[in-house]
Amino acid sequence: MNLLSTKEGSTHKPYRQILSILPENIRDLLLRLPVQFMDRLEEIRLRQNRPLIVTHTAGDVCLDSSGQLTSNPGDAYVITGDDMQRVIRMVSNSSLYAIEEELKNGFVTLPGGHRVGLTGKAVIELGKVKTLKYISGFNIRISREIKGTAAPILPSLLDRWGRVKHTLILSPPGCGKTTLLRDLVRLVSNGVPELNFDGVTVGLVDERSELAGCYRGVPQRDIGIRTDVLDGCPKAEGMMMLLRAMSPQIVATDEIGKQEDIKALEEVINAGVTVISTVHGTSLEEIMRRPALKYLLSLNVIERFVILSRSKGVGTVEDIIYGSSWGTQEVRR
Amino acid sequence: MIRIAGAVLVIACTGYLGMAKARKYALRPRELRNMQAALQILETEIIYGATPLPEAMEVVASRVDKNTAPLFYQAGQELESMTVCTVKEAWDQALNAFSSRTLLEDSDLRVLRQLGNCLGMSDSRDQAKHLHLAMEQLKIEAMNAAERAKTHVKLWNYLGFLTGLLLVTVFY
Repeated sequence: MNLLSTKEGSTHKPYRQILSILPENIRDLLLRLPVQFMDRLEEIRLRQNRPLIVTHTAGDVCLDSSGQLTSNPGDAYVITGDDMQRVIRMVSNSSLYAIEEELKNGFVTLPGGHRVGLTGKAVIELGKVKTLKYISGFNIRISREIKGTAAPILPSLLDRWGRVKHTLILSPPGCGKTTLLRDLVRLVSNGVPELNFDGVTVGLVDERSELAGCYRGVPQRDIGIRTDVLDGCPKAEGMMMLLRAMSPQIVATDEIGKQEDIKALEEVINAGVTVISTVHGTSLEEIMRRPALKYLLSLNVIERFVILSRSKGVGTVEDIIYGSSWGTQEVRR
Repeated sequence: MIRIAGAVLVIACTGYLGMAKARKYALRPRELRNMQAALQILETEIIYGATPLPEAMEVVASRVDKNTAPLFYQAGQELESMTVCTVKEAWDQALNAFSSRTLLEDSDLRVLRQLGNCLGMSDSRDQAKHLHLAMEQLKIEAMNAAERAKTHVKLWNYLGFLTGLLLVTVFY
């Protein structure tokens, strides 16, 4: 079902793709909001029998039944069971049985790379979550692709022979790590003629389907022409699979932190393949407190740390730290 | 002469009406069996293929008897369309259109309508249960229909002609 076609123009208004999965009454409410507001929309939260809440860059706000923003939850439009049924049917393409695997992970990726997180009652089998039923909560995240964010920092990530260095991007959640990583992957995969940088083969492990936004295995985001994506694959396993099968020159993955991720990362580095990854955290000192990451830093292999914040809007590059010296070099303040 | 022609015409008409009625009784068991087969294909698509429902409907439509196919074809089309309706609404709409051109009776259609409540909206094990239930109910309907066909087909075949004959003898 070609529900959310990525036509020309619609890419500029990512929220339009989302609207088509919402029931008419809710869609109408959202369409009455000013365009400037919709452009900053980040999430639409639907919880059964509770108010309709939309999240934008500066916080969240309820919507009342005439489509006005209201801070008083008592006035807000309350999501009905019927609304939920309609959204479930659109999200699952009328087939909950076909997305059991996705339900187990708690999210579904829509065409266009938007993610819908779901909650409900977990069905347990042999001590593990088998699927969800009685779905009663949606978090529809509007995914925006911002191209060009990585261009200013790419020069500082290259060595003098034009090879990409082992890089770790770190920031608190919501500062644009994933967006930056995606754009970086796109750049190194396509190549940047201005920097005399030829494109290289990139292996991307996209455990949470956020980087490439795959829909049925096909990337919906621009991640470059030389990028192979393993969608929904556990990071550690995925990195090994790519290493064995796809001969990447760079392996990229999102949000490392578990012991096995670090082990796999070490393996990749030892194989002579460059690693680009992200990690939650505000500073090197802070991530040093996490044992797995402390181990990674003690290996002294990561050559560049890019630190992001929201100080001047999402995706502000605060600092790029050179791994060998740990000295700081200010870029693009 | 005209009298004789009129008498023949009356007998032919009532005979034809009787046979048409008998035909309905004769064909209903077959339609019910076809519907069961269709649900069987749908189950296979859902359980083993994990095919999304709109696609599964079209597969069923392409593989079943031409009298049964329209229901699944239309349901598939409704689901494919961009409108944000529920599966139940799409299925009901298809059933309503289907009911006017099928020999299936209200009790049969009720079984199918009930199936629409849960189609697509649960995990595969649950889907299988509901589909089996519907097939089982249709099977019982088919058995009853076959039983009734045995007596009613003959009855209506004769009854038509005999009514004509009666009319003729009374008014001749």
